Amino acid sequence: MSRIIRATKYLFLSVIAFLSLFPFFWMLNSATNSSVDILTGTLLPGNHLGENYQTLLANTNLIQALWNSFRNAVVATIASLIVCSIAGYGFEIYHDRVKDRLMVILLLSMMVPFAVIMIPLFMMIGKANLMNTTTAFILPTISTAFLIFLFRQSTRGFPSEIIEAARIEGMGELGIFIKMYMPIMRSTYAAAAVITFMSAWNSYLWPLIIMQKEASKTMPLLIANLISGYVIDYGVLMLAVTISILPTVIIFLILQKNFAEGIITSIK
Amino acid sequence: MKKGLTLLLIFVVVFLGFSPVTAEAEQEVTITVWCWDPSFNIYAMEEAAKIYAEIAPHVTIDVIEESDVEIKLTTMVNAGQTDALPDILLMQDNSLHKNIISYPDTFFDLTDSGIDFAQFADYKVALSVVNGRNYAVPFDNGTAINAIRTDVLQQAGYTLADFTDITWSEYLKIGKDVLDKTGKPLLSAIAESPGLLMTMLQSAGTWMFDPNGEVYIAENAVLKEIVEVYIELVKSGVLVQVNEWDQYISSFNRGTVAGTINGCWIIGSIVQQTDQKGKWGITNIPKLDRAPNATNYSNQGGSSWMVLASSAHPEVATDFLAHTFAGSVKLYETILPSSGALATYLPAGDSAVYNQPHEFFGGQAIYADITAFAAKVPQVSYGLYNYEARDALGNAITQIMAGADIDAALREAEESVKFLMW
Repeated sequence: MSRIIRATKYLFLSVIAFLSLFPFFWMLNSATNSSVDILTGTLLPGNHLGENYQTLLANTNLIQALWNSFRNAVVATIASLIVCSIAGYGFEIYHDRVKDRLMVILLLSMMVPFAVIMIPLFMMIGKANLMNTTTAFILPTISTAFLIFLFRQSTRGFPSEIIEAARIEGMGELGIFIKMYMPIMRSTYAAAAVITFMSAWNSYLWPLIIMQKEASKTMPLLIANLISGYVIDYGVLMLAVTISILPTVIIFLILQKNFAEGIITSIK
Repeated sequence: MKKGLTLLLIFVVVFLGFSPVTAEAEQEVTITVWCWDPSFNIYAMEEAAKIYAEIAPHVTIDVIEESDVEIKLTTMVNAGQTDALPDILLMQDNSLHKNIISYPDTFFDLTDSGIDFAQFADYKVALSVVNGRNYAVPFDNGTAINAIRTDVLQQAGYTLADFTDITWSEYLKIGKDVLDKTGKPLLSAIAESPGLLMTMLQSAGTWMFDPNGEVYIAENAVLKEIVEVYIELVKSGVLVQVNEWDQYISSFNRGTVAGTINGCWIIGSIVQQTDQKGKWGITNIPKLDRAPNATNYSNQGGSSWMVLASSAHPEVATDFLAHTFAGSVKLYETILPSSGALATYLPAGDSAVYNQPHEFFGGQAIYADITAFAAKVPQVSYGLYNYEARDALGNAITQIMAGADIDAALREAEESVKFLMW
């Protein structure tokens, strides 16, 4: 009986795994095929990988776009981790009624869609002469209500005895944050880093508007350009998509263990 | 003494007054252009830049690849940051009217710029005329074609001539016969997309808006006839519905359907399948049986070049377009073979390059044929709410195919567009 249950479980999991992995297989496989082969539905690896790569390099500024995306995402991740963790820490450790209300207002801001604030933001960036810069890219995302909330929730699990002991030892507030809080909370940092990096890496609308120069284009913009023509080369498109997901895959694999921990502590 | 001073003053005024003009002529000028397709419009623009470099060496054309020109334009114009806009941009024909009307004074008036608009297909020029003023130089051709597998027709005992200058009822009749004999439908279309319906609408010189800009869906007898034709096409199996764009392309690349009706730019996707070389032919589209102004010609898609009023050198930008896209047969001859970028610039149709046989289409001189079709496409005004109306019609056709009453579904579509306009 238990064997049947086990077999059913495995069957169920296999189906789910197949459904999750097939798109990735399709993407990788398509990157090696020609557009016509993909459209006619081939499941076998082709020999067009080199050709697709040459076309991609010839028609786009791939290396520049990869570097731009990477630089923007790394700077955005570091900046927002610093700002949001300090904010989350502050909201929890020094909390009083006013700060709690402020937090509620902050959470409400999550409900305002980006498209609504896009035009005023664009005017601010334009007037500040920041077009085409990494600064323009990161400024609107440096502090997000979600990350502050994530850090505030995780800080709940941080033992207040450590802070009190450190204070008695004569350690300053900033010292406590850097030397005590940051190392202990590294799984939360890892989770926040993965989330921020991914959203910065995938961000489309904002860079579309502020990045006017060919040299400041990011990967999502490059991929969008590949599907805007009358004839879409699906092989080249799939290769570009494959290349663009690599950094997020690598970062996720490195931080995977911490990521899971971080998410669990924040929802406790 | 006084006379001397006056003379000096006149000299100074004249000198100062004229100096900027002479400086302008020699000054280095950069014209920025936004367009989006490397193998098509970007390539065409780069070739145009080469031609213009011989005429005006001091002008540099800087082509920037932009996928979502309209979102950027809308944001910048709304934010009042027009200095970040380019000098020239390429706009989808479907959006020309909307943008010219929504953002007056954003685009440079090209009416008296010396560009001869009479050299372009009339219907195409009409798309960028608002209040009698021209705002765009027509570029790529969206003339509708009926592309068919001649080898499949042969199996069923037909030729391309049997599909030329016919009506939809004749098309259906032959289509059913081809389906019976070969098992292949003649057409495929994306289920929720009103593309084919729009092509039929324009072929009868009508649109979803009347000349006053009011919605014209529920009472539009031509539209009702079109919906009936579409239902008949689907029911008879002559047209198969697919879900996505890639499935649509795949249906003729795989050879599951024996033809397609779309803007002539679809050729780029047909010729990808080299196995089918020599097995295709192109003719005009069927016309509606009852519609009063029915023709065998229509349009789907296409784009045009616009000069921005915020440009620092609108005259230079205009002069560039006048010497290239609106004046150089050589340009169109250069870009045609590798990109298939077909002109709506009618003089190009007479050139030798346009009259060369195309091997993929069994030696047919397809480009000359399509340019000839372009001259006969009826004019319509797409209007301010074109995309909203297209979406509403797309929803209506989905409901109708699911069994809803035609009149009720069209009325609902009309109401929803009116609601959006309000």
